[in-house]
This record gives sequence, structure tokens and C-alpha cells, in this order.
Amino acid sequence: MTVQVTASTGGIPHNKIMAFGLVGSLVCLYLTYLNQYLSVEYAAFFGGLAAVFALIWGTDTIKHLCSYGIGTGVPSAGMIAFGSGAIAMLLATATQFNSMFLSPIMAVVFGAIIGGVAGWLANSVMRMNIPVMVRSLTEMAIIGAIVLMGFTAVMAGGFGFEALSAREFALFGSLAIKNFEFTVLGGCLVAVSFMLGAIALQHPFNACLGPGEKQDRTLMLAAECGFLSMIPVAVISFAFVGIGAAVLSLIVAVVGWYYTYARYIELSKRDAFAWLDAKPILEPKGED
Amino acid sequence: MESVLLGIGVTALAGALATVAGAAEDTESNIGSQGDPNSQVQLAPQMGYIHRIYNKAVSGEPPAYGLWVTISAGVAWAFMITGMNPVLAIVIASALAVFVQGVYATTAYLGRTASLAKFEQPVYIDVIKSVTTVTMAHAFVAIFTTVAMCYLLVEALGHPFPLPLLGIVWGIALGAAGSATGNPFYGKERQYQTQNFGAGVPISASGNIVRYAEAGQRSSLDNGWFTAKLGGPASGVCFGLIVFLELWRTVLFESVAGGWGAIIAGVVIILIFMIIDRYIEVWARKNYGPYVKAEEVSA
Repeated sequence: MTVQVTASTGGIPHNKIMAFGLVGSLVCLYLTYLNQYLSVEYAAFFGGLAAVFALIWGTDTIKHLCSYGIGTGVPSAGMIAFGSGAIAMLLATATQFNSMFLSPIMAVVFGAIIGGVAGWLANSVMRMNIPVMVRSLTEMAIIGAIVLMGFTAVMAGGFGFEALSAREFALFGSLAIKNFEFTVLGGCLVAVSFMLGAIALQHPFNACLGPGEKQDRTLMLAAECGFLSMIPVAVISFAFVGIGAAVLSLIVAVVGWYYTYARYIELSKRDAFAWLDAKPILEPKGED
Repeated sequence: MESVLLGIGVTALAGALATVAGAAEDTESNIGSQGDPNSQVQLAPQMGYIHRIYNKAVSGEPPAYGLWVTISAGVAWAFMITGMNPVLAIVIASALAVFVQGVYATTAYLGRTASLAKFEQPVYIDVIKSVTTVTMAHAFVAIFTTVAMCYLLVEALGHPFPLPLLGIVWGIALGAAGSATGNPFYGKERQYQTQNFGAGVPISASGNIVRYAEAGQRSSLDNGWFTAKLGGPASGVCFGLIVFLELWRTVLFESVAGGWGAIIAGVVIILIFMIIDRYIEVWARKNYGPYVKAEEVSA
């Protein structure tokens, strides 16, 4: 016997959340280009905010997809989102697109194509026949690509191929050598972003599912997961960006995480049947 | 010859680290009720059985451990390229990963329990306070040993993968070993110890998990104490053997036939284990037989 997946209905409509998430994350990804434009690194933290916007949107998408009774499929949904998103992200960060400031838009385009194909395969070839499958997988591949790009921007200060795969070391003052091993791609830090994003994407709905699921609590948890994932990413960024930019990313992550975590606990307190400390099991009295 | 000796020594050390990791991982997930037995913990209040068991529904153990170990490996790798001492880097990185794990655990418990308000399941704050810290401590041991093992592979055996990539591979493997080997001890042996041995879990018993202890009420810590005896060590041996045999075949046979030697040795090991598994299965069927209906007691 498996757990029945039940989700609340009503609340903010999905299309509105999708618009909010898509526009918010694209704006934040474009703000990271300030680094390139102004030759600074302080705008790196906008990548983390882009990830938070995308994760809020993705949580609502997963909720819609999994309300079709995919019980144990909730964590898998996060994995397929980032599996397809990783391909879209790598294609979109190609130098041709990045030099024209097109990478965020191309991530959406490639994500839509890959996700659409994955959804079509799931529905038509594997015959899952879930009405929202194609749309949901399309959205989730886009979300995966955006979150990966956002975390990469926090780590490396940008998502251009140069930022991802080359790092300059100062040797004896003016002499500098380029190193390709100790970089975001060379160290395979995409694996870290992948797991951080995939678990953060599936966790909010997976943790809150049940008859008493409330949209505001689930989405607050999504924001919390986004900021929490940003903390290790910001710590890793100490190796790649200047200390000022890395500290700024870390402060944004910690403050955002603390606020959303506290709000999430408040909302859980609001929704819980009772909030007890060191009390025994209270056998249910039943509804009648 | 000397390099092979060193390789075998490192292999043994990595296997020992993996054994500790497996044991800690299984105990951690059982204390937190993660993995497939979690569905019964989740179901119990819906069937009217209010309980004080932790409900750490983060995801299955393999993805969850994939995340914790990858965070630790990634952060440790980043620290190390800035010149930090490896031991210190792995310790700090594991502490950060455990912080993330603890936050995920509390949000999962609060979220799942708050959504069960309809069935009168309260949130027990003392459960969060006492159990989360214990799972975090066990998770630290599991994460630290796994990342230390990955570091050995890179530094001592010259594995070509960077540390974060090894982290995701071995983290998922660790979660899978703990989940596959350890969970029966927790799910069937502990949560359902009121049922007859070998009875399985009939639909009528769904959610009817053991909620009261020998004295007082059962806490998730009791589950950890119970499974630490057999489930934990069994998972440890499982993961330790995986790591040991994987490295052993590579160290010894990699130079044979241009690398194919290691692959052939791997296939042979898998075949040997398949034969052992089949033998045990046949032996168990012969000795215990199929499930039979309970005999009618004559009036």
C-alpha cells in the first residue's frame, strides 16, 4: 500500500506562478551579466536568486504533475528535470550565445525542446498518458537549465565558457598561467549543482504532500530550499571569485534562508493539528 | 610490485572506511525513517495510529546521500584547490553537508506532519530536537568516511575523476547499499515486530506500526538502537565489499590485457555473486517453503 498523493487545489493559479518564475529568473540571470559588463564579480549572487525563482515555479509544476497519482515519482521528477536541464544548460552557455548575451534565452529554448521531447516519449512511446506530462516536463527542463546556470553564475561569476573552464593563476606577481583542471567544469562542480538543484526541486512538494497541503507553505519551503542550496554554492565560490563577491553571495544566501526557514516553521505551526513539546501520543478522538 | 602493495593497502583502507560509512548511513536513515519503510510511518496516522516516530521524507536514500556526499566532496575540493589541508577541508565540508541534511530533515518532518492535521497527528517538537541531532551525527560519520574514501581514490590510486564526480557516484552507491540491505531490518523486523514472523505485511496491518515501547512510547532512537545491531553492520559489509572488490579488481588486473583484465574480473565477480545468490534463494525456498495458510485450530 502506498501513500496517497493528495494536493490542495485553488490558491494562486499555476500560470501566474509560471510567469512570475520565468520572468523573475530570467531577469536575475540577465543581472549576472553586470559582472561581464562592469568587469566586477559582485553580481554573482543574482544567479542564486534566479535559482530560487525557478524552484518556486518548479515546485508548483511538480505539484500539478504529481497530483495525477505519481506517488514515488516525486523525487524522480527532480532528477529528470536536471538531467534534461544539464544538456540545455551546456548548449546554451556556448560561446556564440554568451557573447551575444543570449544564454538565458537559449537555455529556455533548448530546455523547451529537450523537455518537450522527453514528455512526448513518456506519453506517446511509454504510454503514460498523463495529460500535463508534456507541458510539465517542458517546464521542468527549462527550470533545470535555469537553476544550473544560476548556481554556475554564483560559483564562477558568470556562465560563459571562459568562466566555466579556465582559471587564471597568478605566479610570481605579473606572470599568470591558465589552468583548466581547477575550474567549475574541470572539477565537475556541475554534479554538485545538479544534486543541490534536483533535491531542492522535488523536496518542497514531497515534504508537504498530504491532505493538509497548503500552497503558501509548500512554496515557502521551495524558497527555503533554494536559499539553502545557495549556501554550499556560495561557499564553493570562494575558490573562484573574489572574496568580496563570495561573502556577498553567502550573506544573501544565509539571510534568505533564515527568513524563509523561520516563515516556513510559522506556517507549519499554523497548519499543524497541534504543536506539542514532550507530550505523549494522543489517541485520536475521531471526527464524529 | 611496490605500487601494487600500496594499492592493496589503500584498497583495504578504503574498504574499511566504506564499511563504517555503510553502517552509519543505515542507522541514520532508520532513525530518521527514510527510505521505503517511511511509507508506513506516513500511512499510520491515516489509519488512526498516531505515533512519535520521525518522518524524514527527503527522497529515497540514494538521491539524498548523493546530495550530502556531493556537497561535501564539492566543497572539500574547492577548499583544497585554494590550498587548505585536505583533512581540515573534508571535515569542514562534511559539517556543511550535515547542516544541509539537518535542515532538510526538519522541513520534511514538519511538512509531512502538518499536512496530516486532518488525522489528528500533532507535531512533536521534542522529537525534532532529540532525533534530528542524532541523525546529523550519524550522517556526519557516513559523509566524512565516504568523502575520505573518495579522496584516497584520487590521491593514492590516481583515479582520473575529480572529487565531486566521485562523490556523486559513491554517494548514490552508499545510499543504495544502505537502502537495499538495511531497510528490511527496520521495515519488517522493527516496525512490524507485533506480526507473526514471516507473515509479511497484509493490507489489514498497513500503518499498524509498533508505536509503544517496552516502557513508554517508542522513539525513533529506539529504532536506531535496534537496527545498529544487525541492519547497520550488514549494510556496512555490503558497501565495504562493493568498494573493496571494485578497487581490488582494478588494482590487481588493470595491467592485464590493456585494461580488459579488470573488466573481465568484474564480470567474474558478478557471476560468482549471482551463483551465491541463487544458491541461497533455492536453499531458503527448500527449507522454508511457500507461504501456507494458517491451519484451522480444531474446536
